[in-house]
Amino acid sequence: MSRTEPQDIETPINIYEEQEESRQSPLDKERDGFLPIQTNWFDRVFISVIIWVALSLFWLRFLEPAGLSLNFSHAIAVLLGVYIVWKG
Amino acid sequence: MQSNRLGWILLAPTLVILFFFGVVPFLYVLWLSFHQWNPFALDPTIVYNGADNFRALVFDSGFLSSLGVTIAFVFFAVLSELIIGYLLAQAFLKEFPGKAFFRTIHTLPLIMAPIIVGSIWKLMTTPSIGIIPSLLDSWFGFDLNIGTSAVAAFTVTVVMDVWHWTPLVTLTLIAALVSLPADPFEQAQIDGANKRQIFWHITLPMIAPALLATVFIRLMDALRTVDEVLMLTGGGPGSATRYLGVHIFKEVFPKTNYGYGSAVSIIVLYLTIVSCWLLYVALIAPRNKKA
Repeated sequence: MSRTEPQDIETPINIYEEQEESRQSPLDKERDGFLPIQTNWFDRVFISVIIWVALSLFWLRFLEPAGLSLNFSHAIAVLLGVYIVWKG
Repeated sequence: MQSNRLGWILLAPTLVILFFFGVVPFLYVLWLSFHQWNPFALDPTIVYNGADNFRALVFDSGFLSSLGVTIAFVFFAVLSELIIGYLLAQAFLKEFPGKAFFRTIHTLPLIMAPIIVGSIWKLMTTPSIGIIPSLLDSWFGFDLNIGTSAVAAFTVTVVMDVWHWTPLVTLTLIAALVSLPADPFEQAQIDGANKRQIFWHITLPMIAPALLATVFIRLMDALRTVDEVLMLTGGGPGSATRYLGVHIFKEVFPKTNYGYGSAVSIIVLYLTIVSCWLLYVALIAPRNKKA
């Protein structure tokens, strides 16, 4: 009922609003975390993968020759990824 | 629910094509990057070698040098294209005699195949027969030799890329500038804003999405430049113009080192995605957050 009597006559009514909201998966919802941008679940997984690759290359170049196994890099990347997806 | 299903049905052909021509080759290259494979060797079997290709890559001076010159090439080429493209777009919004003719002529490089562009520039810059070294020598006494001078070869590849791709930037920016509403500009002029203030505070923010899309396209193209440069300089002199695309070509085809070439390809894809994403985050995402 309230949709047919808008208070603000200049704002166009989005008749698909309810449909769009019901279609949106919880994974698609954007939120503010410690990252400087609003992100959805996919963004945070993407950022984690980007960091994982960068960390692995850095590790291969600088830390593996010193004797630190690449598996440490993977473990750190997984922990960081979980934290980014959870809190980012 | 009905429209959701219809949407998926309509999208299905595109998704199937995208899967077979985009996702499958990507997964194949990704898989190959963790293997050693030389199909023309005595033993052409594919051998899993873990991260050895990537381990070799981070210590490969040829790859690191290619990465450096590619970043320099992309920076100078894309920045020049944006500046010249914007100036030309502004010029084409004004009326002047011969505008239609000049606009057609200016768009012609865009329709040329990169290999043709490379051939044309090779003919124009070859020291004994090219018109550019001849004119530079007679006008300024400057000896342009892309076969011996690394700086000259690098500069010529940047100029060639700018010549080839600036029309794309111009056309995109013309479309963006034409679609801008007149009101903000009139209001700014009434408020006493000068041309520089109007450009920085009105024009640039309003064309930012179009500008960013153009930068994405050019960035992706410039990072994978192969044919023009291969035709013009062959990656030389030395490794002065051995850009990442040329490096991959030389690893995969003359050396038939498919596994290592795949690893370099994956890293180039990674760099392209990261640079585009960083640009998006720096220019567009903070504004969306404020909104």
